[in-house]
Amino acid sequence: MPFDLTPYLPFLIPLAVIEVGLTIASLIHVLTHKTYRTGNRVLWVVLSFVQIIGPVLYFIIGRDDGGKD
Amino acid sequence: MRAYLAFTKKEFTENWRTYKLPILLVVFLLFGMMSPLLAKLTPELLKSLSDTGGVVITLPEPTAMDAWAQFFKNVGQMGMLAIIIVFSGLMATEFSKGTLVNMLTKGMKRHTVVLSKLTAATVIWTVSFLLCLAVSYAYTAYFWDMGTLHYAFLSFFSLWLFGEFLISLLIFGGILFKSLMGSLLFCGGVIVAMTILNIIPNITRYNPSSLSGATLELLNGQKGLSEFMPAFVICAVLIIVFSAASITLFNKKQI
Amino acid sequence: MDILSISNLSKSFGQTRVIDGISFSVPEHAVFGFIGANGAGKTTTMKMILGLLKADGGEVAVCGEKVTFGATKTNRHIGYLPDVPEFYNYMRPKEYLRLCGEITGLPHTSINNRCDELLELVGLAGVRKKIGGFSRGMKQRLGVAQALLNEPKLLICDEPTSALDPVGRKEILDILRQISRKTTVIFSTHILSDVERICNQAAVLNKGKIALAGTLADLKARHKADSLHIEFVSAADKARFISVYGLSAEQSETGITLRGGDIEGIEAKALQILAQNDILPIRLEVAESTIESLFLEVVQ
Repeated sequence: MPFDLTPYLPFLIPLAVIEVGLTIASLIHVLTHKTYRTGNRVLWVVLSFVQIIGPVLYFIIGRDDGGKD
Repeated sequence: MRAYLAFTKKEFTENWRTYKLPILLVVFLLFGMMSPLLAKLTPELLKSLSDTGGVVITLPEPTAMDAWAQFFKNVGQMGMLAIIIVFSGLMATEFSKGTLVNMLTKGMKRHTVVLSKLTAATVIWTVSFLLCLAVSYAYTAYFWDMGTLHYAFLSFFSLWLFGEFLISLLIFGGILFKSLMGSLLFCGGVIVAMTILNIIPNITRYNPSSLSGATLELLNGQKGLSEFMPAFVICAVLIIVFSAASITLFNKKQI
Repeated sequence: MDILSISNLSKSFGQTRVIDGISFSVPEHAVFGFIGANGAGKTTTMKMILGLLKADGGEVAVCGEKVTFGATKTNRHIGYLPDVPEFYNYMRPKEYLRLCGEITGLPHTSINNRCDELLELVGLAGVRKKIGGFSRGMKQRLGVAQALLNEPKLLICDEPTSALDPVGRKEILDILRQISRKTTVIFSTHILSDVERICNQAAVLNKGKIALAGTLADLKARHKADSLHIEFVSAADKARFISVYGLSAEQSETGITLRGGDIEGIEAKALQILAQNDILPIRLEVAESTIESLFLEVVQ
């Protein structure tokens, strides 16, 4: 019996929006900055696609605050 | 007063531009969604497990109270962890980077620094918490009949108060050790100490740690208000004590 | 009037006595060089002047008011530039100066103008990027700007030039010289040429004590170095000179430095020998006392 997703749509739609939003935000930040506090560009680009955890991790420990504008 | 407003504004700018505020908002938004979702999913997951195992379990339909149980568990554990991680550098980074020197030699009072940081962290935590609560409430109301919530305000307030307690610990630890690690370890140490104290019979009534989740029993009516009142009072007193101690300690700190 | 007077100040960290009963004063409109080797206690002294460190003994007075540890009122007279000024990286220079202005209590109406004025002075006008992307030199210049925000009577700079390249150093020194018309400047350094370039007063801190203090002209006069330096065309010429003159103090490949109390006498004798033997030197000079020679003299 296929799992019925309909009751979960109120969750899934906003979740998808948040996840995609985080990935895009993180990707933009990774690609527009040259230096990172930890890790390198390839790592953070890949991790940006790891839902929620990846982008959050990037903004907490990967992002360099000495960033050029 | 002007220095206080200016420095508090600086705190908000800092939390926004260093992505701490946006991250907390997103994380707590997710916690808010997760709690009712988990409550709704758990029976389904168990059912799919029991299908393969051949064991038949009859499961009660989840209720609003299951969603709130998830809420207390998620916010009380992971939510508090998020608070600790995000605010652990509140005082410590100012010390380790030496950014306070310019501010203090400009004539800013030291207690202004502490009060500004406390204000900013409190506002950010309150907004994050309310967002989480509102989302959780909306989903729970959408899926289930809310039923009776006993002492709704106090039950939720207890979680908020415990978060506030952690913030005051982090600020105090940050000033005491002037380092991020010190701030983390101090806060962690107090939490561990409170957990160990719980071994003593009947102490949970007085232990602030019971405010980080156990007040579900207040919400669902299993326990009365008197069971938690001492913990409330002690927690509130400790917040004031640690905040005052932070200011006194900071006034004596060499920079 | 003395802007700053320090009497009998001392400070220990654990067992080590970093500052051992120093006394000196800085008159108004001086550019005061505070000289000392790395770790001599310059920063410690400055932090005590600012009330950031607690003195073990002695007194510091700024503009006649006593400095107390903690929130000291005397700081309203002082602008301070730390050795490595740290700012909030996520701010733009103007935002940072505005924050400083608010904190120090500048009137709302003048903050904007004052910020623009100072950014202009330190050459950061129109810089829009965040401080996190600044070079060392830019940060140092922004540091000067924030220190001057409340029009202090006394500007204290802790090694403002030591981390900079020659260009950055020149910029900072030029700025300091420019503001010294309005403000008394104290700056610590171990780069002695900087002191000679812009200071008119100096003190040398050595092993926690003031080894030397006074106006630059005074100091030089008091420690007149008596040496004559002669540079020859070749080593052979040098050898011929030495064979006639006798012993010599210091020699290099083709040069010789003569020392003695009566420098005129030495010079006359040397010139005579040179003329009689047909030795033509490339260079002949009476070495003037430099801060460096002074410094080495008192530190040894």
